[in-house]
Amino acid sequence: MIEAKELTKNYSGTTVLNIPELKINKGESFGLVGNNGAGKTTFFRLILDLIRPNSGGVWINNKNVAKSNNWKLFTGSYLDEGFLIDFLTPEEYFDFVGNTKGLSKGDIDDFLKTYKEFFDGQVLGKKKYIRDLSSGNQMKVGVAAALMGTPEILVLDEPFNSLDPSTQIRLKNLLRKLKTEKQVTMLISSHDLNHVTEVCERIVVLQEGDIVHDIKTDKDTLKELEDYFAV
Amino acid sequence: MIKWFIIHQFKQSFRSTIWQKNLIINIILGFFVFIIILEVLVGGIYLADKWQEIFPDSDPVSKFNGFIGYYFAFAFILRFFMQNVPVLTIQPYLHLPVKKSSLINYVLVKSFLNFFNFLPLFFVIPFAILQLSQFYPLSTVWVWLLSIILLVLSNNLLIVYLKKQLVANSKIVAFFGLFIAALLLLDYFKLISFSELSTAIFGHIIEYPYLIIILVLIMLSIYILNYFFLKSHLYPEEINIKKEKKTNAITNIKYLQTLGIIGEIIALDIKLYWRNKRTKTIIYMTPIFLLYGLFFYPQETSSEGFGFLIFIGIFMTGGLMLNYLNYAFSWEGRYFDYILTSNIDAEKYIRVKFIISLLVCTFSFVVTIPYVLFGVKILLINFITFLFNIGVISFVLLYNATFNKKSMDLSKGATFNYQGMGASNWLVMLPVFLLPIFIYFPFNYFGVPYTGLIVVGLLGISGLLFNKSILKIITKQFYKRKYKMAEGFREKG
Repeated sequence: MIEAKELTKNYSGTTVLNIPELKINKGESFGLVGNNGAGKTTFFRLILDLIRPNSGGVWINNKNVAKSNNWKLFTGSYLDEGFLIDFLTPEEYFDFVGNTKGLSKGDIDDFLKTYKEFFDGQVLGKKKYIRDLSSGNQMKVGVAAALMGTPEILVLDEPFNSLDPSTQIRLKNLLRKLKTEKQVTMLISSHDLNHVTEVCERIVVLQEGDIVHDIKTDKDTLKELEDYFAV
Repeated sequence: MIKWFIIHQFKQSFRSTIWQKNLIINIILGFFVFIIILEVLVGGIYLADKWQEIFPDSDPVSKFNGFIGYYFAFAFILRFFMQNVPVLTIQPYLHLPVKKSSLINYVLVKSFLNFFNFLPLFFVIPFAILQLSQFYPLSTVWVWLLSIILLVLSNNLLIVYLKKQLVANSKIVAFFGLFIAALLLLDYFKLISFSELSTAIFGHIIEYPYLIIILVLIMLSIYILNYFFLKSHLYPEEINIKKEKKTNAITNIKYLQTLGIIGEIIALDIKLYWRNKRTKTIIYMTPIFLLYGLFFYPQETSSEGFGFLIFIGIFMTGGLMLNYLNYAFSWEGRYFDYILTSNIDAEKYIRVKFIISLLVCTFSFVVTIPYVLFGVKILLINFITFLFNIGVISFVLLYNATFNKKSMDLSKGATFNYQGMGASNWLVMLPVFLLPIFIYFPFNYFGVPYTGLIVVGLLGISGLLFNKSILKIITKQFYKRKYKMAEGFREKG
């Protein structure tokens, strides 16, 4: 479903990402781990056509993301606050995003009802602009907006960051459910090895732009990763 | 400790991206400041020199003293709206073992280094040298100057205090505003007299120089007032600009909803303008901007050619659009990544910018119709420039906007705020204002000015007719530039 070929990205002479080949199949849950500067966000930005690769490219359903807009229809993403329109209230933002994804008012209301538990009474009906929400609540808004319209592909950059423990658990359950019930292809990066091994069936470790591990998750994966990252 | 604050402040200003990247803007700004100082200085010297000729039948010193009161009333109002309150970004120091008092003293003393505090000196010093010293001994001249400086500083501190109170207790500010307004009204109806009052005050100081101690005490007490206020409010959330707690309901306009996604984006842009401080200041300044015509038209209607009127017409009917389109994408810099990944079609997105410009231009044109009172040709020229603005200049600006890759920080006011403006935004002004005049001039030269106007107007109409194809070209350009723009927007600040 997602394919990266000969993908490289340089910043002022240094290669920050170099992926000769990587395929992510439909319905796969793909975890990306690595230390700061390993190239995780760069990779996600390349997938979402937010930066221009120095060579190669990313193909979704055999279409180069830089040349087609089609993938936007079924790809939900949240990388950072740059995805939030901070002077809107969460409700207005969901309305807007829902509208761009072709949802009706009723669909949007239904969606918000389903995510009531996820928001934990912190997001809706507070009469606050997104810019005035805490970073955890902003994260909830961003993740939920990415999930609107049940995308086929979901790209989340460190979604567990700044979430409270209950919401972390809710998010994990939610992601598992999306995978088993809707076969959503998920790309998730995280610094927390626990979370990512729990949610993802495949884990790729990036180091200074290179893929150094590509493993199927089993009961030993966490131990393996911990050993790898131990100094 | 103070030493560190000063070092940090210097680093902050010299390392800010504005300083490093926008050399041209800094030069332009520096030039403006220089010009203003020069104008005030020359004006001051001229007035001081010719004072006896301008006001022949009164004592020059008491006459001048009389004006000082008005100056302070005027400066007070102006500064209240224009002056940015200096705040050392105190947050990083609060958890460190730094004395609160040195933080506060630094913030307050720093506020003295304001451009507005120095400006009147350029006006007052020539008068002191050329007039006052003729009548009084040097020591008295010094006292007089010092008392004016003290009042300037008191005024400054009062502004700082009121602007801070605006956050904590807006009632005090409202009360003060009413007080000033009442004073001005009383003066207007001649119930009290500002000029007599200020003549009396400064006259007494000249006569009994030790009275200056009162002014010192006034300044100190406002300083102390500030000091204690800041001391008890030294929390970032209390000291900084009030966060908007309430949301305003711009309930989705029914008509916009029927337009589908285009309507949604228009509504989004309206909210953007209405809910951010910087854009809101622009809205508030719009009426003043549209009144500029009163400035130009009375003098210009008598002139023969249309050249200058075209210039003003472009400005009047296109100024608002210029502000909007010049930064068409950088207004939305903070969430540009979302725009790019969302399912919003780039061509529609750009079309919306054009539609809004059309609305804004039409609004400007309609509002400036009353200027027809200064002559029918103003209406004619404004109509022509309106067509040219919307049919030609809008596209030039939109195309140029793709070169701006600095995200706008919308949380600060718009006055004196050049954050996010790039050289391209200034350079584009040249074609905007010169293009229509260049087109018009040959016709004027050969004695057919009206044909020239018609050609300018027709160019506008043809741009309107071919808007679809032109917008396609701009969309292509947008695709070409989007990575560069997104990358620039991600670097906040």
